[in-house]
Amino acid sequence: MNAADPIIRLHKINKSFGTFRALTSVSLTIAAGEKVVILGPSGSGKSTLLRTINRLEPIDSGTITIDGRNLNDPGEDINRIRMEVGMVFQSFNLFRHKTVLENLTLAPIKLKGMARGQAEALAMVLLDKVGMGDRASHYPIQLSGGQQQRVAIARALAMEPKIMLFDEPTSALDPEMINEVLEVMVALAREGMTMAVVTHEMGFAREVADRVIFMDAGAIVEEGTPTDFFTSPKTPRGQQFLKQIL
Amino acid sequence: MPEPEITKIEVGDGAAIPSPDDRGLVSAWWIALLGAIGLLIALPLIKPDPYLRILKFVPDGILITFEVTVLSISLAIVIGLLTGLGRISRNRFINLAASLYVEVVRGIPLLVQLFYIYYALGRFVRVPDLVAAVIAMAFCYGAYMGEVFRAGIKSIDHGQTEASLSLGFNHRQTMAYVILPQAWRTILPPVGNEFIALLKDTSLVSILAVADILRRGREYASESFNYFETYTMIALIYLLITLVLSKLISIMEYRLSHYERR
Repeated sequence: MNAADPIIRLHKINKSFGTFRALTSVSLTIAAGEKVVILGPSGSGKSTLLRTINRLEPIDSGTITIDGRNLNDPGEDINRIRMEVGMVFQSFNLFRHKTVLENLTLAPIKLKGMARGQAEALAMVLLDKVGMGDRASHYPIQLSGGQQQRVAIARALAMEPKIMLFDEPTSALDPEMINEVLEVMVALAREGMTMAVVTHEMGFAREVADRVIFMDAGAIVEEGTPTDFFTSPKTPRGQQFLKQIL
Repeated sequence: MPEPEITKIEVGDGAAIPSPDDRGLVSAWWIALLGAIGLLIALPLIKPDPYLRILKFVPDGILITFEVTVLSISLAIVIGLLTGLGRISRNRFINLAASLYVEVVRGIPLLVQLFYIYYALGRFVRVPDLVAAVIAMAFCYGAYMGEVFRAGIKSIDHGQTEASLSLGFNHRQTMAYVILPQAWRTILPPVGNEFIALLKDTSLVSILAVADILRRGREYASESFNYFETYTMIALIYLLITLVLSKLISIMEYRLSHYERR
């Protein structure tokens, strides 16, 4: 696929929670294979924006197109689209009643009709990739936060998605566990996965992002390459944000 | 990061199911159990007439009591699951119907419901007394059970639902594969409570010509005039059954919690 093809296209998205306007006319396109990091102060709408992409957050108005399919179209099966969009959450959300291996095999078996043996083989490849192959028979509660998050990434990958969304994947982790998760994400980025990442990890943004989106008060204020944004932010709000975090 | 506490639901008026750390209740359980067994053995030995006679006459009813209990609870669990799902449904009509059912049932004494359903059914169809009793018990306990299921489902962290949806599961699959298997663990103690409460409440069906433990006892007592002795034995039999059941349920609960242990 041509790297310039937009695989995600958000057009004039509006979203309110009661009287609070979470997103105001936000438009964003992400090309296949592109890695986009979304930054911004808390409450700026970055997580909400990410969650509209797989419609975990329904929108009030606007259009969302994923891989050429319109999410608002009633004829479109949202569940089929979600199969192609993996998501990693701040709080991991591993299925607590399933082992690590079962967390990875549940969706491929039930949704794709994959044979158990094949699903387990795929799961083991992915678990090895995130360094969790030796914990396949453990339950989530027996793992550290960093380990749970690596399993959660592998679980999303088990559906072989075209896009991966990360919603503050390291924010709930103890500092010493952040790197093990970021390393997995960096490796995934190197393999050419399309990624949209909401994070506070500026090092990750600098190293991996093709493009940085800076949001404030429900709107995209500024976007550009990480080098441009981190060295010479164009807007006063961007400058202020960087001053606060660096 | 500390793991979130597992939500425990405490509902119902069934016998207390002692958690292993509740020392007071655990020793009370042993004392009550040994006391009940001891008396059930000692009394007939010391005074065979009437205690041994009672012990020979009444147990026919135990089977009936169990039959009514097991049939009612099975039906009540099905009704309860549907009601619980109905109570959290986003379909307003289904939600209202389920809520109305719960409100109405909770507001009417069980004994009145028993009579009502028994005689209401009797106007239209002729059903065996036992069937009428089971339907009435299940109708009533289905509402209680509905609240237990609703609380159990609601106790599962919303992140589990989001993770499931994000993989491509629809709401029904999410309920079946992710939420209910976890909710079951939370629900089991209150369901166990309801089971024991229901077993005790089946004594009410003795009024409907169903030959349960209490009915057998009343028959014996009214013939022999040994009221005190008969009801002593009946109370001991019920006590023994509920004590054993509460233990079995707490063992089951422990088994089901395997994924919560580090």
